[in-house]
Amino acid sequence: MDMKRKFWIGLISMTFCSAVVAQDDLLADLVKEDSSKVKENITIATFKSTRVVNMHSVEMTGDGNLQFMIIHHFGAIWDKNEGASNLARLFGLNASFASTYMSFDYTPIRWMNLGIAWAGASTMEGTAKFKLLRQQSGVRNYPVSVAWVSTANFNASKQLESPNSFYWNRFSYLNQLLIGRKFSDLLSLQLTPAVIHRNIVAYGNSDAHTVFSVGLGGRVKLSDKQAITFEYNRQLNGYENVVDKTGAIISYSPNLISLGYDWDTGGHIFQFFFTNSSFASNLPQLSANPVRDSFGQWSIGFNLNRSYAIKKKVKTQ
Amino acid sequence: MKEVLLAGILVMITTVVCGQTYKTRDGNIYFNPNKNQSNKEYSALSKEGTAVLKLETSEVAFLVPMKSFHFNNALLEEHFNENYLHTNKFPNGTYRGKLIGFDKAMLAKDGEYKMSSEGKVEMHGVTRDFTSPVTLSVKGGVATFKCIFNIKAADYNITIPDMVKPKLAEATPLDATISFKMN
Repeated sequence: MDMKRKFWIGLISMTFCSAVVAQDDLLADLVKEDSSKVKENITIATFKSTRVVNMHSVEMTGDGNLQFMIIHHFGAIWDKNEGASNLARLFGLNASFASTYMSFDYTPIRWMNLGIAWAGASTMEGTAKFKLLRQQSGVRNYPVSVAWVSTANFNASKQLESPNSFYWNRFSYLNQLLIGRKFSDLLSLQLTPAVIHRNIVAYGNSDAHTVFSVGLGGRVKLSDKQAITFEYNRQLNGYENVVDKTGAIISYSPNLISLGYDWDTGGHIFQFFFTNSSFASNLPQLSANPVRDSFGQWSIGFNLNRSYAIKKKVKTQ
Repeated sequence: MKEVLLAGILVMITTVVCGQTYKTRDGNIYFNPNKNQSNKEYSALSKEGTAVLKLETSEVAFLVPMKSFHFNNALLEEHFNENYLHTNKFPNGTYRGKLIGFDKAMLAKDGEYKMSSEGKVEMHGVTRDFTSPVTLSVKGGVATFKCIFNIKAADYNITIPDMVKPKLAEATPLDATISFKMN
């Protein structure tokens, strides 16, 4: 066999073989092409809800969606002074006390959410939340999601204790930076530094115009639809030797501790929790949380939210 | 020199004869699992389907990244990914099969053609046999295949909560529209 013939036989068999191989699996071709593309793998569902427990989470209400949220904090689960009537008070559910927070928030642009809330005890709040970074890999690599929430609280109470009645004194502000990471489908954690500023310092608030705090929250998923959540926030100043309106010296608890259980029913997200605060708003939770001497003084509560698609993004063909 | 030229021509002929394929990134899939199809609350759309069509053998393959389905309500999208289709674990929905009654001559002439397809759907880690009518419309150098996949969630190990079940159709029609540019 001369060289030329060998060459031709070789070439023909090679091209024939490659044609046969290529014919074998069209799908493998697509899969290969798809997996070779560098994608934008954006982490979703770091938390189920826009709240970890009491605090905002890095999650935002979806683009073009309106969310309605109700938060309830009930009375003390076992009030020592109430004795046997605690049985009728049913762990605080029937204790003639509940603070309620109701809010509507809407996301007009993917990274911005605006909300209005009735925040309990005659206060109203406006919130603005911005998603600054989304945890992702692929095209870009960000290890964490970052969001910023600003809350302005307006106290409409007629009995507002304040040295003077200047209108702007009714406002206080909370700014929080939320840094969250979904470590795995099982575990998510969030760091939440916060600063509260009040224009005027009322009795019972010491003389701190500005109160700092830092918090750590997290979620451990039990199943697709259930999770255990937890939160610890530590107030850093303005909680000791506070003068209340009778002139007595009191101290607040610098610790805000919460344990929760998330249940996603398919339509709503229920978040049941057990916490050492009976306030519905984040501002008093983080700046004036009374000391509780026993677990009996803690309260149970829930967050319930539902969202509605306002903007129609799915266009039928 | 002559050998190289001939070799080149031979390779070209082999690819043309044995493997002329059309590829596209223009695959749309729309679905609405609601029992009442006029209620679009749960509907979703992906525009990121990719497909290959092999003329000689009438073989087709189709792939859609599951995360490319978008819903009106972000919460539903989260449920779709996290609770129902576990898209981190099963990132793609695929179909591979044959067009029955397809002839490449159809592509040369504008018109509407009816045919069917037989193959396998893979989704959520489950592979199932599948047959369905297909419509091909050829117009101005674009061949558009339309096919409806009727998907029963239970067939693919997708668990729908009892609360939601009464609102959903027994089988969800998945409208796939795939367009190939021929030139």
